[in-house]
Amino acid sequence: MENEGNKKSIKERTKAKHKEKQSKEMNESSNKQVAALFSHLEIAKGANASLASRDIHPAVLVIGLQFADFKICGANARCIATLTAFKKVIQDYKTPEGTTLSRHLPTHLSPQISYLVNSRPMSVGMGNAIRHLKLEISTMDIDLADDDAKLLLCEKIDNFIRDRITVADRVIVSYGLQKIQDGDVILTYARSSVVQALLLEAHAKGIQFKVIIVDSRPRLEGKGLLRCLVDAGISCTYAFLHAVGFVLKDVSKVFLGAHAFMSNGALYSRVGTAMVAMMAKEKNIPVIVCCETYKFAEKVQLDSFVMNEQGNPDEMVNISTTSTPKAGLLDGWLHKPDLKLLNLLHDLTPSKYITTVITEVGMIPCTSVPVILREYKQV
Amino acid sequence: MTGPRDLNAQIESLVNRLRRRQVVGSWSVSLETALLLRQVVSVARWNQVNVLINLVKDVGGKLVMAQPRELAVGNIVRRVLRLIRDVYNSEVSNSNTNLTSTSEEVEDDDKDYEDDNVIKSPPQKSKTYDLQSYSGPGSIISSSFFSSSASMINLLGDGSVSGKEASLDYDRKCYNLKPTIISELQELINELENMYVNIADQAMEHIHSNEIIMTVGKSRTVEMFLKTAAKKRKFSIVVAETSPKYLGHEMALSLSQAGIDTTVISDSAIFAVMSRVNKVIMGTHAVLANGGLISVSGTQMVATAAKHHSTPVVVCTGLYKLSPLYPYDEDSFNDLVAPDPVMSFDEGELIDKVTILNPYYDYVSPELVSLFITNTGGHPPSYLYRLINENYDPEDTVI
Repeated sequence: MENEGNKKSIKERTKAKHKEKQSKEMNESSNKQVAALFSHLEIAKGANASLASRDIHPAVLVIGLQFADFKICGANARCIATLTAFKKVIQDYKTPEGTTLSRHLPTHLSPQISYLVNSRPMSVGMGNAIRHLKLEISTMDIDLADDDAKLLLCEKIDNFIRDRITVADRVIVSYGLQKIQDGDVILTYARSSVVQALLLEAHAKGIQFKVIIVDSRPRLEGKGLLRCLVDAGISCTYAFLHAVGFVLKDVSKVFLGAHAFMSNGALYSRVGTAMVAMMAKEKNIPVIVCCETYKFAEKVQLDSFVMNEQGNPDEMVNISTTSTPKAGLLDGWLHKPDLKLLNLLHDLTPSKYITTVITEVGMIPCTSVPVILREYKQV
Repeated sequence: MTGPRDLNAQIESLVNRLRRRQVVGSWSVSLETALLLRQVVSVARWNQVNVLINLVKDVGGKLVMAQPRELAVGNIVRRVLRLIRDVYNSEVSNSNTNLTSTSEEVEDDDKDYEDDNVIKSPPQKSKTYDLQSYSGPGSIISSSFFSSSASMINLLGDGSVSGKEASLDYDRKCYNLKPTIISELQELINELENMYVNIADQAMEHIHSNEIIMTVGKSRTVEMFLKTAAKKRKFSIVVAETSPKYLGHEMALSLSQAGIDTTVISDSAIFAVMSRVNKVIMGTHAVLANGGLISVSGTQMVATAAKHHSTPVVVCTGLYKLSPLYPYDEDSFNDLVAPDPVMSFDEGELIDKVTILNPYYDYVSPELVSLFITNTGGHPPSYLYRLINENYDPEDTVI
């Protein structure tokens, strides 16, 4: 019996060692190819369920895999998915003997959160939401029965999603409608859920305007927005980022979405946003950012290097614009010693390129972001 | 000796090849044009220079119409016309002072460009302003002070009265000009052939060690420039792939094969990375008279981002790309090409309802460019008008 047990453990150990060696090799080869300036940023590893330990809730496992594969993409979508998954975790949670819900639940959530962070670094909004959740848990009344407490927590999560995301989006859209008039030519970059809602609503209200969607490799997220707008009947033009100088001649306003807003008024958003904002500012075209307040961050950031995300560099090898991949010239770049690929996901737009920010609390200049944060803290 | 009929066949062949885009790229087009014009000068029957000038203009007009976006064709034609007129003028002034025609020996291109810039202004044909002439194999052209010192004339005014009158006529019978003109043309062809080497030789003066240099798209000039510098300096390159043509990929492959540390970024990351870039070195398709560039789409983004970060923008180009045309309308030199690489027919129902734009070129305004590195040395954009005055005649601007 013991021998068998030993044999089994030896097998398991060798398997684990082999896996470790494999992942180490992969890391080494990818380290060789990392641009030196970005070596402090991890490269996205892709979906890998084997990294999960036993106590990850299946709902969290699912969204972790979806995040890593970029099936759920976009700050709002990821935040809502995370909170919904955590709701399920809380519903399935049972307080163990000898401890209270308000003390143990955060420690129960921690491994789930670290698993999500491992799949893909958390967005600023997600971080704020989870911080809010932890605060709610810790201020929970100890006398409350477990079931009631769990119900209350789920309600609080729903309220957060409703107030800070869903209703906030609607308020932003209503403010933004004031900024779209007949005859406008609106330029937008990549895909922002708020800007999409704004444009659809403006069209539904009967405002006559045209949209130019600027898209970029390798994500090509603008195509999804294009489909959505075309289905609604809006007249659209589509171009890649290289054409932005050519296209800006006819544009009257630029609407952009945000991943996060830093306390120094800088916009942290999809890579390429800074380029679009800068080119628009050069031609004196107003740049309007639509951003919910839960995305405001306490951090300050000056450039796109210190905090960023690197995607999988192999995405740049595929040069086809449809779902069938077609390898370009860079195929086999791993074997070429001096060649590196850099696939950045975000960049930082300095505040001087942004004209105004539309939030659910109104239209503010981007330098007022720390003021709003302070207001929320006082509440 | 090929007759005029063969010459016509050669002209037609080049026109067709240009029209079908079988000759692509400013350099190859320029070389072919120069070779063809040399044939025209040597084969065609002419005994008066104005006949030759009209002939060259005629052939040149056909070539320009075959590929109108390729400004280099027109530039070479204008260079040849100016060359013919210069030879004629110097010949006229020589016969004025009663000397037999001398053989010209124009200084080689691989002479130090510094001398050219310091002492003599016309960089190509430096002439000493001797009042005596002498012939011989290694001789320098003699010319009277007035008519052939082109730059001096432009400084002092419209030129001496006698020189101008003579050059307006172009009707003197000058059979003996043919070898001179052909040898000048040969110099032009040599200049074109040595183009890349001349530019690449200046590389060491512009790149220091541990630099991060950004480049856009694919340019053979820049490639040779960087590879020459890489032999002695250690630096890294960031290449912006220019989707949807992905010229940046080819450039990166070629540079990394030469052992240069290369990183490929997508167009969207240009602004993000620009803050760490020390300089931007790029090529161009054409340079316009005001110093503006017509280059591959995406260059305007890079140049504007560089201006915002106060990063110098260096353009490596040969003089044959310098055109005397002005961009009165930014879009007059641009082409919208097939949108298939942007959105292909696989997305069937979508492309029916959407306008898809795929501009091929970009116009970069001269304020965004810091330096032009040409085969004659480094020049700021403000100097280009002088180069145009020296290499082209104003009456040739419209061919």
